[in-house]
Amino acid sequence: MTASEFKEYVKANGVKKAAREVDVVTTGTFGAMCSSGAYINFGHADPPIKMQKIWLDGVPAQAGLAAVDGYIGATALDETNNMMHGGAHVIEDLVRGKAVRLRATGHGTDCYPRKEIDTYVSLRTVNQAVLMNVRNAYQNYAVATNSSAKTLYTYMGKLLPEFGNATFSSAGELSPLMNDPYYRTIGIGTRIFLGGTQGYVMWEGTQFNPGAPRTPNGVPKRPAGTLAVIGDLKQMNPEFLKGLTFTRYGSSLGIGIGVPIPILDEDMARCCAVTNNDILAAVFDYSQPTRSRPVLREVSYAELRSGDIDIKGKQVPTSPLSSMYKARQVSEVLKSWILKGEFTIQEPVQSFPKDRPLRTLDVRTEREAT
Amino acid sequence: MKTKVVLTFSPEASNQPITHNLIAKHHLLVNILRAEIDEVGGKMVLELSGKADDIRGGIDYLKANGVGVRPIKEGVRRDDEACTHCGMCVSICPTKALTMDLKTGKVSFNEDKCVACGVCIDACPPRAMEILI
Ligand code: SF4
Ligand code: SF4
Repeated sequence: MTASEFKEYVKANGVKKAAREVDVVTTGTFGAMCSSGAYINFGHADPPIKMQKIWLDGVPAQAGLAAVDGYIGATALDETNNMMHGGAHVIEDLVRGKAVRLRATGHGTDCYPRKEIDTYVSLRTVNQAVLMNVRNAYQNYAVATNSSAKTLYTYMGKLLPEFGNATFSSAGELSPLMNDPYYRTIGIGTRIFLGGTQGYVMWEGTQFNPGAPRTPNGVPKRPAGTLAVIGDLKQMNPEFLKGLTFTRYGSSLGIGIGVPIPILDEDMARCCAVTNNDILAAVFDYSQPTRSRPVLREVSYAELRSGDIDIKGKQVPTSPLSSMYKARQVSEVLKSWILKGEFTIQEPVQSFPKDRPLRTLDVRTEREAT
Repeated sequence: MKTKVVLTFSPEASNQPITHNLIAKHHLLVNILRAEIDEVGGKMVLELSGKADDIRGGIDYLKANGVGVRPIKEGVRRDDEACTHCGMCVSICPTKALTMDLKTGKVSFNEDKCVACGVCIDACPPRAMEILI
C-alpha cells in the first residue's frame, strides 16, 4: 500500500487490523536536494591523462581522485555563475541521453603524459556513472517567510516582502523518514527508489540529527534525520531527476526518493499512520541572515497544505516546493514494483546511530579545534 | 465583454495617448495590468471591457497606429512537460492563475486569469513558465 492509502486504511480499520493485514507501506518524496551529485569514471584516453581539473559542459567537476574519476556536484556553477545550467542540469542532460562536453587538464606525468583533453561523453561512453548524494530526504524541514521590505531569493524559493508568502519543503506525511521516525526499518543497505530506479541507503545523511525536538508521538518538529543514498545514474529516469534553478541562489537537483517501510508490528503501523495534522514545522524569517533565526511559530503540515497560514495575524499563502504530485507517483511506482516482485525489501545491514550531536562551524584557533 | 491583450509599441506609438483614445473614442474601460516603456518602445498588458464592436474598433485603432496587439494567451506559457507540480508559483501569483488541486497535488495554469506580470518566471525552479512578451 502507498503511505496515503495506508493512512486511509488505518482511519477506517484501526491500527491493529492494519498491522495484521498490511506488509509494506511505500513512501515518497520529490524535491530539491542540493547535497547531491554523481561520480563518473570517464575511461582512459590514449595517451592517458591524470585529470586535475575537469569541466562538464563548462561546469567544474571535482578531480583529485585517481586519473579519470570525477564528481560533479548539483550546485556547481561555471565561472560566470550561470544558474540556468549548473551541475544538476548537466546530470539531467546525461540522464536524458545527451552528450556533454568534457574538458580536462593535468600536469603530465611519466605514466600519464597527456596534459589536456577536449571531447564529448555520454552515459553510453563512460564506465561508471553513479548518483551519490550525501544528504537527501530530510526528515522534516523549515517553513520560510520574509518580513523585510524586499523580495528574497533563497534555496527555499522566492519569498515576497512583508510576509507575502511562505514556503516549505517536506512531503509531510508521505515523506520516508516521517513514517519511520526512529529509523527502525531504514538504515544502511535499505533498498530504495532513487530517481526512477533502485538505489540504496549508503549511510546516515550528513547533518543527521536524531536528537531534534519531537512531538509526543515521536515526529521531529525540526530538521532531523537525513539519508545518504546511491544508485546507478545510467538507469535513472528524467521524470524523477530534474535540474532546478533557484534564482540568485543557484542550481539544485530535484530528485524522487521512495522508501518501502515494512509494517513489523503495531508500533510501526502507528508510526506509518501519522498524518499532516500530527506533523509540525517551525516558521523562520529568512530576512534574518543568521544561523539561529528566531522561530515565528509552529505550524502543522495540514495547515501548510491548506494554502495559507496565519503569521502575526496575516493570512499568508503557502507553497510546498516539494511536489506532492510527484511524491505520490514515486510511492505508486514503488508499490507496483513490489507487487510485481521486481523490488524486494532489504533489511538494513546496520542501523543508524541513535544520537549524533549536530556541530556548527565556528572560527577557531588550531588549539580550539584540536 | 472583457478581453486581455498584450500591446507592443515603437517609441513613436508610445507618444500617442493610446489609452485615452481607447477610453474616449472607443468607449472602453481600460485596466492597465502591466506597463513597461522606455526609449526603445514598450509593452503593456491591458484589460479592455466594453461592447464587442467597440473592442474590435479599439483593436483596429491600435493596429492602425503601429501597435502590436496579441491576445494574452500568447503572452505566458507553461511547459507542462517541465512542470514538476512543486507549487512554488501558487503562493506568488497575484491573480491565482496558478493553483494547486489539494487532492491530487497537481498545479494548473489558468491562462484567463494570468495578467502576464512575470512574477512566476524566475520563481519556477525547472523554469517551466515562459513569458513571450
Ligand atoms: S513553480 Fe513551475 S514547476 Fe512548480 S508548479 Fe509552478 S509551474 Fe510547475
Ligand atoms: S505571469 Fe505568472 S504570476 Fe503573473 S499572473 Fe501570470 S501566471 Fe500569475
